[in-house]
Amino acid sequence: MKTMELRVTVNGQPRKWSIGPGDLLLDVLRREGFFGVKRGCEKGECGSCTVLVDGRAVNSCLMFAAKVQGCEVLTIEGLADGDRLDPIQGAFLDHGAAQCGFCTPGMILAAKWLLDKNPHPSEDEVREAMAGVLCRCTGYIKPVEAVLAAAKQPAKRATRKREPAGVAR
Amino acid sequence: MFERVEVFYRPASVREAVRLLAGGKGRARIVAGGTDLVVDGDPTARALIDITHSGLAYIRKQGGGCAIGAATTMAELEESRTILALGGGILARAAATCGSIQIRGVATVGGNLANGSPAADLVTPLLVLDAVVVVADAKGRRKLPIAEYLAARGTKGLRQSLLVEVTAPRPLGRRCGWSFQKLGRTALDISVVNVAAGLQVDGAGRIQWARVALGAVAPTAIRAGATEENLQGRTLDAEAIAQAAEGVMREVSPISDVRASAAYRREMCRVLTRRALEECAAQAGCAL
Ligand SMILES: Cc1cc2nc3c(=O)[nH]c(=O)nc-3n(C[C@H](O)[C@H](O)[C@H](O)COP(=O)(O)OP(=O)(O)OC[C@H]3O[C@@H](n4cnc5c(N)ncnc54)[C@H](O)[C@@H]3O)c2cc1C
Ligand code: FES
Ligand code: FES
Repeated sequence: MKTMELRVTVNGQPRKWSIGPGDLLLDVLRREGFFGVKRGCEKGECGSCTVLVDGRAVNSCLMFAAKVQGCEVLTIEGLADGDRLDPIQGAFLDHGAAQCGFCTPGMILAAKWLLDKNPHPSEDEVREAMAGVLCRCTGYIKPVEAVLAAAKQPAKRATRKREPAGVAR
Repeated sequence: MFERVEVFYRPASVREAVRLLAGGKGRARIVAGGTDLVVDGDPTARALIDITHSGLAYIRKQGGGCAIGAATTMAELEESRTILALGGGILARAAATCGSIQIRGVATVGGNLANGSPAADLVTPLLVLDAVVVVADAKGRRKLPIAEYLAARGTKGLRQSLLVEVTAPRPLGRRCGWSFQKLGRTALDISVVNVAAGLQVDGAGRIQWARVALGAVAPTAIRAGATEENLQGRTLDAEAIAQAAEGVMREVSPISDVRASAAYRREMCRVLTRRALEECAAQAGCAL
């Protein structure tokens, strides 16, 4: 099999991996030990494989790994700062928003994408942002409550709005 | 699924992308968001050409209408003021229905058209906006009305071409109305049926022109030409709308599949067309 070199920053650490040119990001991340990236449907339906690429939530099962050349990837493993949980993680614990936990990394990263962009979302906006992550046990009420609670925390969040180059507004 | 791919290209320009495609001996595949390509899989692909760095992500105003680069994402379309202002914002509304935020952040307008699904949600609004598609191959660039592009997409002439841009002319005049209606199984699913419509009425409430497009009910999305002709010149009232909604049922040729039966799709064509024309009427200031 042909291989190529992938340079990517994962959870703040620069990496240099050898990958197949047709490898998918989900497979590469799990091969490299990031098991918080879950393998569910592999069709873009369930969202359990969600990661952030340069701040944007994507289904890693649908993304060629070669596409993240030079990008910053955030997986659930990179969210806590040492022992200090991200406010969204804390809120999920406080609200009992996880049962088996399989969907939780995707839920939390989809929520992080939303709160980075929109620190004070309405419940509808939370539901819309989380609609791409399916949960088969906890349901959606507690996760939505957790995200709304995290948004109320005073912790300063960087407001970032990515403007794609050349797009007229 | 893509184990046999030998090389992944990231061309920095359209010219380079076209050259790579032409040199791919029919085994190079363009990848934009990858949300159709990866799901479908393609064991024959040997080279992948990622066009998301080729300068094709843009939305420009152009002579009152606009030009949209093929690699522009659904998320960019749904938030763009230019697209929200175009034709009542029906293209932005359609983009906002295309899957989850994870999908919409990467899925592109070019992929939606080039993939050729009859249910692709951007196609009916683009048909109603009279959009034109710009394609490029080794011989150069050419423009095609979107309906022609859809019909010719799979043919030899277009298989090796890159979709560069979609342009929509300025929708003319006052007292226009626009609508996009989608029926899906779930909030994220692709359409069971989708309908886009646009029209203009004169001072007396008579229809100057009407456009109705239907998706997922024929081999490609279609314009309902006979229904459009019947509407022209009529007073836009409840009876005209009811007759048009009946009329589209005769112009479609739906199939049964996992999402819905042909009979249900045909019935939904009537319902969505009625809703679409009612919304158009309200925007055009016609009391029903
Ligand atoms: C979970 C899920 C939900 C979805 N929901 C919807 C929905 O609600 N509505 C809807 O319409 N679609 C939906 N889709 C389908 C898909 O996301 C869209 O069709 C999307 O626009 C495809 O764009 P892409 O950039 O990802 O295409 P890709 O997968 O990158 O490409 C698709 C095809 O087009 C070709 N191609 C791409 N760009 C070009 C170009 N510029 N020139 C020539 N050929 C090109 C590729 O070679 C490939 O054959 C969904 C998909 C998933 C996985
Ligand atoms: S595994 Fe990626 S969306 Fe389900
Ligand atoms: S907690 Fe089990 S799938 Fe959501």
